[in-house]
Amino acid sequence: MSSTPHNDAEPSGHPPLAIESVTKHFGGITAVDGVSLSVEAGEVVGVIGPNGSGKSTLFSLASGGQKPDSGRVLLQGTDVTGWPTWRIARFGISRTFQIPSLFINMTVRDNLLAAAVEGDWKHAHGRMENTLEMLEIGHVVDNLASELSGGQQKLVEFARVCMRDPKVILLDEVTAGVHLNIRQIILDAIQRLRKTGITFLVIEHDMEMVKEICDRLIVMDQGKVVAEGDFDTIASDKNVQQAYLGRT
Amino acid sequence: MASETVQTPKLVVRTLLISAALVALAVLPAFIDSYTLRIATGALMWAGLACAWNIVGGYAGYISFGHSAFFGIGAYTTAILMQAGIGATFFVTLVPAIILSIAVAVAIGGPTMRLRGAYFAIATWAFAEMLMQLVTVLDFTGGTAGLSLPAYLNEFFFYYVMLIAAAGSFIGVWFLIERSRFGYRIKALRDDEPAAESLGIRTNLVKVQSFALSAAITALFGSVYAYWTTYIDPHSVMGPQITDQMVVMVLLGGLGTVWGPALGGVLLWITNRYIWSTFGDTVIYLPILGIIIALVVLFLPNGLISLIVGRQRGRELVSNILRKL
Repeated sequence: MSSTPHNDAEPSGHPPLAIESVTKHFGGITAVDGVSLSVEAGEVVGVIGPNGSGKSTLFSLASGGQKPDSGRVLLQGTDVTGWPTWRIARFGISRTFQIPSLFINMTVRDNLLAAAVEGDWKHAHGRMENTLEMLEIGHVVDNLASELSGGQQKLVEFARVCMRDPKVILLDEVTAGVHLNIRQIILDAIQRLRKTGITFLVIEHDMEMVKEICDRLIVMDQGKVVAEGDFDTIASDKNVQQAYLGRT
Repeated sequence: MASETVQTPKLVVRTLLISAALVALAVLPAFIDSYTLRIATGALMWAGLACAWNIVGGYAGYISFGHSAFFGIGAYTTAILMQAGIGATFFVTLVPAIILSIAVAVAIGGPTMRLRGAYFAIATWAFAEMLMQLVTVLDFTGGTAGLSLPAYLNEFFFYYVMLIAAAGSFIGVWFLIERSRFGYRIKALRDDEPAAESLGIRTNLVKVQSFALSAAITALFGSVYAYWTTYIDPHSVMGPQITDQMVVMVLLGGLGTVWGPALGGVLLWITNRYIWSTFGDTVIYLPILGIIIALVVLFLPNGLISLIVGRQRGRELVSNILRKL
């Protein structure tokens, strides 16, 4: 990946992404309840928790898919709360979805180029070649997205995110159900990209992966952050054990 | 788009084929009688209209049943401006016709394109019906009696105007959809709107842009049609049969393809004229249209063009039919 100026660690002093006391209700259910977090440039932060704990909703709130009922989302210190998704994306957040959302009637090549139309179009083809090489999907570049395996679809969606040249990448279970080789390709890519200053927020159930790449973890349960720290601290935290194993 | 080395020979071949087709169409009037020339003029118009509808229905994925409104806007703008009191020349009327259609498309498309599926289709159908009823009761549109235009009885003129309009539409759309960033935006929007938004694509803007472009081309053909036929009334230029034909032509030719609408438009129009000349009316055309739609949806979902340039070949088609049977 060629890094462009806005990928480098920002000198502004503001974290690439900060979420302040964000709350989101769906009817009578509080999906996210006063969550605050902040991630630094080049950091990889894991968000874990049982199903229904509010992780994916938190991603939607950060990327503009949902508007919070209260609280703020800050990108590089700029309040982007309530901005539409496309505007937040142009400001530097890119995300993958739990179920890959590829453009299924388009080829892999066109999927990647579609991700670059609102950015540095002049260098899009070069960036695409680098991305294809990094994620080892050059051999399927002319295939329709609908013809790919589940693992390849995950790689293409990740590649598409990389084409955006983002400051912050949100990965929603990017290695779920993929072959070990593909999982390793993704892990290597994350390690490589973080060195260029890209920040990662990763929802993951794969604890091996979490242990391997995340600098710290945020544990959510019932919409709240119940624990935060490095892997070993989290693994021995009683709140986390309760969240995963049930309340006693 | 893409790897230039692979695309360049394809581009050259395609450019040569398009040039050859244009030359053939340009010299066609020298070899056919005036009746056939009228059919050819109509075929060009319907091909162009199918191309226009395909932008919204095929590429953006929004099924509009209100395009007859834009055809009518073009026709009525030209007809009104060419009335004795105003006396504008035909080509001058094209500018306000296109501008008005774009303005209406933006005003209607803005709110309605936030709807999806059947809701958008119903909203556009209701808009077209509303406009047709409005034209029926207004004085300056001639009410139910319609309007007559100054006659210009030169079939060659209309053939070449239709040819330029149709060729311009197809080449413009081909360039815009297959060779520019707009094409990526609109196709991404069609396939997965939330994903397109997450990549920075302002989908609401792209939708309205595609609707306005589609409306402008439709209005252009409405203007030419009005001058060609020298008489229009609400039903003839705003009736639902206009949109229905556009939809079926695109489905038959190939939804979301560049050249499918041309194929569908020409084939269906020739069928229509053949039935008219054989049976004296086109009543039987409607059941035939229904049968064609059913057959295409069942056996050839990618349209006739897929047999020529797509992934579905004859053998595949046969196995598809056998499987369904």
